[in-house]
Amino acid sequence: MQPILKVNLTTGETTKYEIPQEWERDYMGGASLAARLLYSHLRADLDPVSPEAPLLFLNGPLSGTAGPTVGRFVVCGKSPATGLWAESNCGGFWGPELRFCGYDGLWITGKAERPVYLLLIGGRLEVRDAGAVWGRDTYESQEIIKSEIGVPNTHVLTIGPAGENGVLFAGLFCDHGRTAGRTGLGAVAGSKNLKAIAVKGTQKIPLARPEVFASLRGESNRALKADNVSQVTHELGTAGVADYADYLGSMPKKYYHQGAMANVDRVSGATMAETILTGVSACHACVIACGRVVNLGDGVKRKGPEYETVVGFGPNLLNDNLEEIVRLNEICDRYGMDTISASNTVGLAYHLFEMGVIGEAEVGFPLLWGDTAAAGRLLELMGSRAGIGDIMANGSRRFAARFGVEEEAVQVNGLEVAYHDPRGVSGMALVYATSPRGACHNKSDYFFVDWGQADTSLGMEYFEARAGAEKAANVARHQDWRSLCDSLVMCLFGNVPGETVAGLVNAACGYDFGVDDLLRCGERGWTLKRVINNRLGLTRANDKLPKALLEPLDDGPVAGYVPPLEEMLVAYYAARGWDPVTGRPAQATLLRLGLEDVAKDLWG
Amino acid sequence: MAAIFPSPEWLNGLDEKLNGDKKYSQIARNWEGELCILVEAGGPLKEPMIFYLDLWHGKCRKAEIIPELGSLKPAFLLTASFENITKILKGELDPMQAMMTRKLRVQGSMAYMMRNVPTVLDFVRCAREVTTEILS
Repeated sequence: MQPILKVNLTTGETTKYEIPQEWERDYMGGASLAARLLYSHLRADLDPVSPEAPLLFLNGPLSGTAGPTVGRFVVCGKSPATGLWAESNCGGFWGPELRFCGYDGLWITGKAERPVYLLLIGGRLEVRDAGAVWGRDTYESQEIIKSEIGVPNTHVLTIGPAGENGVLFAGLFCDHGRTAGRTGLGAVAGSKNLKAIAVKGTQKIPLARPEVFASLRGESNRALKADNVSQVTHELGTAGVADYADYLGSMPKKYYHQGAMANVDRVSGATMAETILTGVSACHACVIACGRVVNLGDGVKRKGPEYETVVGFGPNLLNDNLEEIVRLNEICDRYGMDTISASNTVGLAYHLFEMGVIGEAEVGFPLLWGDTAAAGRLLELMGSRAGIGDIMANGSRRFAARFGVEEEAVQVNGLEVAYHDPRGVSGMALVYATSPRGACHNKSDYFFVDWGQADTSLGMEYFEARAGAEKAANVARHQDWRSLCDSLVMCLFGNVPGETVAGLVNAACGYDFGVDDLLRCGERGWTLKRVINNRLGLTRANDKLPKALLEPLDDGPVAGYVPPLEEMLVAYYAARGWDPVTGRPAQATLLRLGLEDVAKDLWG
Repeated sequence: MAAIFPSPEWLNGLDEKLNGDKKYSQIARNWEGELCILVEAGGPLKEPMIFYLDLWHGKCRKAEIIPELGSLKPAFLLTASFENITKILKGELDPMQAMMTRKLRVQGSMAYMMRNVPTVLDFVRCAREVTTEILS
């Protein structure tokens, strides 16, 4: 891989960091390599929004190569929302452009005296005043900075007012609305007075066997384009699965408290395609193009929502108006907030209002299910940290705890649950409980496996959507695969066979890896993140689900069912080789993965 | 009526099943569109076979084996190897798993397909229930 550029915003010092080759081989890149690089820096006493807290942007060995769905990068650090490992990956063109500058990563520490943005053109870094864009939203900021730089095809990654205001679910945005949304790393950037990073490069990405890679790239992209999942995602966006999710009972409604909703089919990717869709958008070299472009009748081209946003601002709030979802999505984007955490926290507010825990005295206006105008007002308050929004901006766990009802928040370890209900797809119970960044659906999108995407070439088996402990080892294997994808950094919507991925990695890096070797890399990264979290204070007791997900629904296709989480966890620890009492990876497991130094730190 | 898959008798059996099954009639009540199933040659099947079914509001208006697609543009064309299609019919492979893992290719409107997954799944149930034997 290419070097990482280290930047200290306090001193202005920059250094070129060469990644140890054995770490490249063992961790590949992306999130797993970031975990290795940050392992000793993420201490329990480190304040995530202090100057010394690291913010690491990293590509993978396939990023920007025009291989199948590999135009992504990841940003990592310590989450101000969870206090644990933070990672969030993002599409668009920014990551590849960083590689074209001759760097595979940017490692930011320190705090600038005043708001700045970084400009990296070719190999040269410049720190520029960001006074003109501080306070501006993410869409405006990108355009202003691009205009100021004046170099065509410059790509800008920016925070919005939410990141500046320390909203704990603030993200980083590029290429209009492509988002590194989760775990609050936009607030970390804001704490450093870092508004944006603009990149423009011209270099070629190094490949070990370029001719082999070119051939594989063409073949794999053609196969991917013809794939059924790609067809659905291209035609309907990621929200194309909404109808099926509803049918299986895995689409949450009314803040996870209702199993069925009238007219739910009005808010789906299919409905979007038949009504407001005017075009599609793609990340770098992607043949799927899942991004949506919509028009609400005012002639303005807007970003169409993906699945999580559709459900979060749709059925989660008992709203069946797709156009309102588009508007709420845009508020989040402009402020620079993650739509999952934002909509989840809004849903919690409606829930607490219905319970009588909060009222108009606290909120300033009524919160009635289906009222999207109120949701929009809450988002504005959160993004600007005004009124009750100042409390909600700290995320659902702290919001609920502030009113003495922490158990009502549908979150795990401080990260809000995404919109795949484990009562409909039980594998997500384990995924949410054991994800290294809280209740995340992307560290393993096991709902796809529960729906049928059990790829036998990866050694996956197919279990019933509501099977129990028998699927624990399968979940662990899928997490390992997705951990590998996060290190490459590869989009989860690319349904690419394992053997093909191995071929691409080998051609890019000069390795001779098989699928099992890749899975071991994934497991190594997953395990290392677990140890990082253990050292940050995470224990067996953190592997849990919120109350709402352990209570049966009264209606809908999965009424009466709850996943047997405890039994699943026991089987999961056994499959992983983790200590069942402490939840820590066993010494033998760490040694098997070549993590001798980590084993010594953890077990002495 | 039960019969060996793939054969004209099997298709007739499926035709009768679809037109007599109350559950299918209810679930597929909004379905409009022709469906072709292309079974690729392989194993004991020496030549590819195409089953044509005209499915309309919970009924099957026409079912026949056609020699080639020609200019026919069915609403949906499902293509699979003989091995995979028989696994689906024997209940060894979930139809959604087949679609999501490259074992069953789907051509047609994905919006319509995703809206009507229950119909597709119940169609497969009917096909399984009329399949008692597989060509070997």
